[in-house]
Amino acid sequence: MANLMQELARLSDDIYEHIEKKNPQILFMFDVQRLYWNNTLNAHAEGKKLVYVGAGAPCELLWAFPNIWPFLLDMFPTRLGSDPERASKYIDIAEKYVAPTMCAIDKVDLGAVFSGDLPDTPDAFIWSSVPCDNSRSAYPAIEGYFQDRGARGLKVDIPFRKDERSFRYIAEQYKDLIPQLEEIAGQKLDRDYFKEVMAISNETAGYMAKIADLRKLKPCPLPGRLLVLNEMIPAMAGHPAMRDFVKTQYELGKMLVDMGMTATKAQPEVFRVSWLQNMLWSNVGTLDWLEKQYGATVVMDAFGYQKTPLFTNPDDIDTVLFNLAQKTLALPMIHGASGPIEDYANLVENVMEDYAVDVSMFVGHVGCKHTWAAAKVIKDMVMEKFGLPTLTIDVDAVDGRYKTTEEIRGIIGEYMDNIVEQKEKGNYPPKKA
Amino acid sequence: MGSETLLNENAIKSPAVKAWKEKGGKAIGTICCHVPEELIDAAGMLPVRLRGTGCTDDSEAEAWMSPFSCSFARAQFEYLLNGTYDFLNGIATSDGCLLAGRIHDNWKYAGKEKIEKEGFMLSMTSTPRIVESRHTMGYYKEELEALKADLERVSGEKITDEKLKASARKYNETRALIREMYELRKAPQPAISGTEALELTLAAMSMEKGEFNKKIRAFIGEAKNRKPPAAPRVRLMIIGSAIDDPAFLKIIEDKGGLVVTDVQCFGSRYLWEPVAIDDSDVMGSLAKSYLERPVCPRILDIHDELYKLYMDMVKDYAVDGVIYVRMKYCEIWGGESLLFESKFKEAGIPLLTLEREEIMTNEGQLAVRVEAFIEMIEKEDR
Repeated sequence: MANLMQELARLSDDIYEHIEKKNPQILFMFDVQRLYWNNTLNAHAEGKKLVYVGAGAPCELLWAFPNIWPFLLDMFPTRLGSDPERASKYIDIAEKYVAPTMCAIDKVDLGAVFSGDLPDTPDAFIWSSVPCDNSRSAYPAIEGYFQDRGARGLKVDIPFRKDERSFRYIAEQYKDLIPQLEEIAGQKLDRDYFKEVMAISNETAGYMAKIADLRKLKPCPLPGRLLVLNEMIPAMAGHPAMRDFVKTQYELGKMLVDMGMTATKAQPEVFRVSWLQNMLWSNVGTLDWLEKQYGATVVMDAFGYQKTPLFTNPDDIDTVLFNLAQKTLALPMIHGASGPIEDYANLVENVMEDYAVDVSMFVGHVGCKHTWAAAKVIKDMVMEKFGLPTLTIDVDAVDGRYKTTEEIRGIIGEYMDNIVEQKEKGNYPPKKA
Repeated sequence: MGSETLLNENAIKSPAVKAWKEKGGKAIGTICCHVPEELIDAAGMLPVRLRGTGCTDDSEAEAWMSPFSCSFARAQFEYLLNGTYDFLNGIATSDGCLLAGRIHDNWKYAGKEKIEKEGFMLSMTSTPRIVESRHTMGYYKEELEALKADLERVSGEKITDEKLKASARKYNETRALIREMYELRKAPQPAISGTEALELTLAAMSMEKGEFNKKIRAFIGEAKNRKPPAAPRVRLMIIGSAIDDPAFLKIIEDKGGLVVTDVQCFGSRYLWEPVAIDDSDVMGSLAKSYLERPVCPRILDIHDELYKLYMDMVKDYAVDGVIYVRMKYCEIWGGESLLFESKFKEAGIPLLTLEREEIMTNEGQLAVRVEAFIEMIEKEDR
């Protein structure tokens, strides 16, 4: 029987070794991935409790237990998006059980779990009621599957709005989570250790903010491809390896800026693009292609825009839990898409404004029906406030079979060709009404 | 009051709605069954459950909500856009699913003029999805308090505990009567079809409940004296996403399967379990009653209760087969089969899965599949 975790750990080792020989200056991007997959694989062998988590779980609280290794289940689909054979295997398994319209992120989660390819049962599965109806359908089934095999299931209710009362509601539930985590870990929460974790998390958030600021510069010093790794950041925020990853990313970007250079393939940068919805894990090369072909860099996307709140008073547990709740509601996908439409619209507006975006694309993952159902409001806002039309294209962020690379690039390319033509005539960007 | 009169009340703008409006009454649309209608009733307004019944073109709504949103949500939004719901003075939504939330969200923009100029109410209740947490009820209660304040503003009426208790009593009577109507369907040769039962619950969704209670009581009396039709070929239960279209059930019943019960939010899940009011905490008890009902899988830790309900229904209504209807793009129900399919199989309950769109275009295919299912059950029974 296959062991998916083992395969992915080996794969990350192989990629690391390959990059080490071929392109050592970007090794830092693969270092953190290798560590994550290998440590997850070896968690039990190293005497740790392996805890799978769904989106929205309070990762810093989990990292505060040295005896727990948390693994974000959505790492499977985001990792397998670039591995069509494996991704489709798990999607097909899931479709035996659920509607094929379910988001492929959740289908990969489900398929990976139900395939039996994860022989190392976690000690617990902790999940929340966000980000979407797809995960709300998948997580209870996954919880049941693991519970049948002896794991504990813990869940947190995340409300619709992102206001003070919601933060308090979540914080109260997090408080209840602590003794349960202590039982799983077999150790009490060490508040001093937790403070160290929070300090690392704050440092990580600080570097993220600096990186975000770098991306505002013209030309953008960092490639669109790096945005893809954003999924991983919150899952490991609080772990030193993630802090080191973003620190290196920032230092590299800063060095490039100081040297008047950019690591993108956009030479020169002609267009600054924003993708208003999800990230295309199944076709990340399209970001490089956009840079190379059109000098068009995806400077920021509405998926990874992370203005993460900080821990403001690590000495006070109530404030800590409140901050954790704020952080949960600021996570990618949850920050914009899972609540009121204004959150999403404001996020996109900030991206458009802060990053001086001049090409707008709704590269919409078909699984995200609720973001699609907000698309008109978002695109109208972009037109009204920034005078920009928005290309709309349906893709599957994980299942590469939905549209081929050629199809995706054909549609985007046609749009970009028009823009280039209009720009040459002096008609682009269009003048604001 | 004759049964025909009540059955005529299932149109969206029914005679009862027209009469209510002509009297100068206010009407509030509701989206999702976690908006307690008792609150609207206690404010002296008419609650009207939003639906998309009979929608034949949702192209305007599709422009807002995309082709990837469920067509039930799109049809409701289309009706908001095209003026079908112009008689409403507001909408109270609960975030039953994300698309329910998006109807609310998009209407903020599409209905901006109505909201700003006519004081159209738009209220969103965030309903918890996990019941077992000790913090849940308090949160939901506060949400209902906020809804109450919105309703008081629009109606100009104070919603007192006494009014709310009176509404709960009236609604509990409706619940008991709907159950009594369902009870008749347990008979070996039920006199009420599934199509008719759905028409009745749809009528309830846009009628003042005191009036509805009188009419359905009369209907039940009449139905008890009906000459029973021939025994159905098979007895079916419908479970799954919202079905607000009697024509859908008629296709199934025209093939010889009688729908004797259901677990869907426009049928038995609309008003069934009584609200238990605690005088010391009226709003809290309303919240508790609404949240603990096994309504649909949007409540994440209620799957076992939901499954128990399926099995109780199968037993009580002598169900021969279950039709699981999932609306395309309804992910709340789309994954539910994972939790019951193997259990049904183990229990020897035949199951047919159908995908539905609000605008019916595949009637022939539906009929063929249902007929094959009925034949399969009949063969097994022989």
